[in-house]
Amino acid sequence: MSTRDIVLVALFAAIIVVLGLLPPITLGFIPVPITAQSLGVMLAGCILGARRGAAAVLLVLLLGAIGLPVFSGGRGGLAVFAGPTAGYLVGFVPGAYVCGLIAERLVKEDQAELSQFLSFLAASVVGGIAVVYLFGIPWLAYMSGKAFFGTAAASLVFLPGDLIKAFVAMLAGRAVLAGYPLLPQRA
Amino acid sequence: MDIVFTAATVRYAGRVALHPLDLALSERRIGIVGLNGSGKTTMARLINGLVKPTEGSVTVDGLDTLADEKAARGKTGFIFQNPQHQMILPILAEDIAFGLKNRGLAKAEIAERTEAILSRFGISHLARRRVHELSGGETQLAAIASVLVTGPDLLILDEPTNQLDLKNRALIERTVAGLPEQVIVITHDLALIEGFDRVLVFHEGRLAADSRPAEAIGAYRKIAAC
Amino acid sequence: MLNALDIEGDSPLHRMPVRGKLVLLFSAAIGLFVVSDLRVLVPALALSAGLLLSTGIGAGQAFRRTRFVLFTVLLVAAANYVFVSPHEAAVVFCRLAALVLLAAAVTATTGISAFMDEIARLLTPLERYGFVRAADVSLAVGLVIRFVPEILSRYRDIAEAHRARGLPVRPLTTLVPLIILTLKDADTIAMAIDARGFRRH
Repeated sequence: MSTRDIVLVALFAAIIVVLGLLPPITLGFIPVPITAQSLGVMLAGCILGARRGAAAVLLVLLLGAIGLPVFSGGRGGLAVFAGPTAGYLVGFVPGAYVCGLIAERLVKEDQAELSQFLSFLAASVVGGIAVVYLFGIPWLAYMSGKAFFGTAAASLVFLPGDLIKAFVAMLAGRAVLAGYPLLPQRA
Repeated sequence: MDIVFTAATVRYAGRVALHPLDLALSERRIGIVGLNGSGKTTMARLINGLVKPTEGSVTVDGLDTLADEKAARGKTGFIFQNPQHQMILPILAEDIAFGLKNRGLAKAEIAERTEAILSRFGISHLARRRVHELSGGETQLAAIASVLVTGPDLLILDEPTNQLDLKNRALIERTVAGLPEQVIVITHDLALIEGFDRVLVFHEGRLAADSRPAEAIGAYRKIAAC
Repeated sequence: MLNALDIEGDSPLHRMPVRGKLVLLFSAAIGLFVVSDLRVLVPALALSAGLLLSTGIGAGQAFRRTRFVLFTVLLVAAANYVFVSPHEAAVVFCRLAALVLLAAAVTATTGISAFMDEIARLLTPLERYGFVRAADVSLAVGLVIRFVPEILSRYRDIAEAHRARGLPVRPLTTLVPLIILTLKDADTIAMAIDARGFRRH
């Protein structure tokens, strides 16, 4: 990674931290407040690409692990990693990576706007949701002991909020691509 | 210290940022002026190796910026326009120590030299302060300290007062005037270089004037007027 | 702005080296998950709580830091209560809460630089293979801490500009300029770093 890459990764990690400091948004039809931080994971992949996006997310996790209050709501420390939802946190890293991978491969600067939107949406849903859940739900299930089925099902309450985030990431990803393209594009 | 440009040219895809330049600089105080895009920034960055010559060469104290990149860069410190972009670590003292850490110095020596440079610029009281809490002028001063702590012989300042208010501008002007190091200043702030030894004027990638401040600035004004 | 979560103190945990604490945490995690006996888990929970309080953190602060995670633990325990049995709920609660409190105790007694030093040590084998450099990681950590306040303040400026124009402060219209403006700075910041001789290879 060049110095510029390191700086991009660090600045994006800082953006993700700032997203966590913003007040969560409560939309009427969804029972849980939406935090902007997991949106940051999708954005990292869509904007910086797979390697740098995953690095940015990993950097945020590292900062939280060493005791800085970087997670949503100013939380931090190893306690967050010891809880039942830590799988989602860990899953953010491969999630950002896969999101970035899909974005890098599908999105092209000279494409029609609609194709770009769909590509970013696919990247955000597959990377930012599917992959993250792939890590989050089993971890949650394991921690829940014998009640794993119930908790896994209950955790799906976050899905609508996450889908909305995927939409926001799609729009933002495309807007940033238009304004300041950083996505390394591989054919 | 002698800085020598030998047919130094910088070309980017499709355009020439700097036409072949032959120049020898050794004065203590050198000013560089020119319109935006005139090549002055490119020329300054050739000196510390941030930009490499597409053709020709640049030597700093006999060291070639291509062949001896690290050694050449070690001889110059570079200050950028935006103070906020230069302080990269959260606490002032840490940022200053950063340049020294890269050189593999022992902790004790790093602490000593950090303390020394802070007192030299009268900012010891800011050592533990968070960088984002400093004023623009304090930040720029801190940037100068963090760059000079590694002991370069030459300091290049690229539009150092552009983003500062009057008071902070005066602070930087005073500081630069008092530096024993050799100084090159690129600036739009003509008052800053009035008392310098030599002023270079760049225009459209070429050296348009090269003389004492009064004449050079006169030439610059003429260029800017048309 | 980003205040570290460790606290001053001289408890046994404070004096323990980082690696030791991490090994302790890891072993405790394994132990807690292997055991299902309340006669072991309840004392384990009490011990963890005791360790956390022994750091000098104070019950209020300790609770404030862990309440969110403990809440999720409570939910999981409640699911066990409903779907399995009260006994299982107690087992799950004690096990998870004990781990959470122990982790909080480690965080409270370990400073950032201690962690960073340990990370540098752990990265040395990886450095040999060229995967990652400890200096890069340490620079990246510093950069994040350095720039979070600026980016937050930039966000506030953007939100204020929205309000001044009578626009609703929506994520899309605020985040896109925030991201673009912030990432545009990367070039000059990287140049300033390079100008100071960062890359030694």
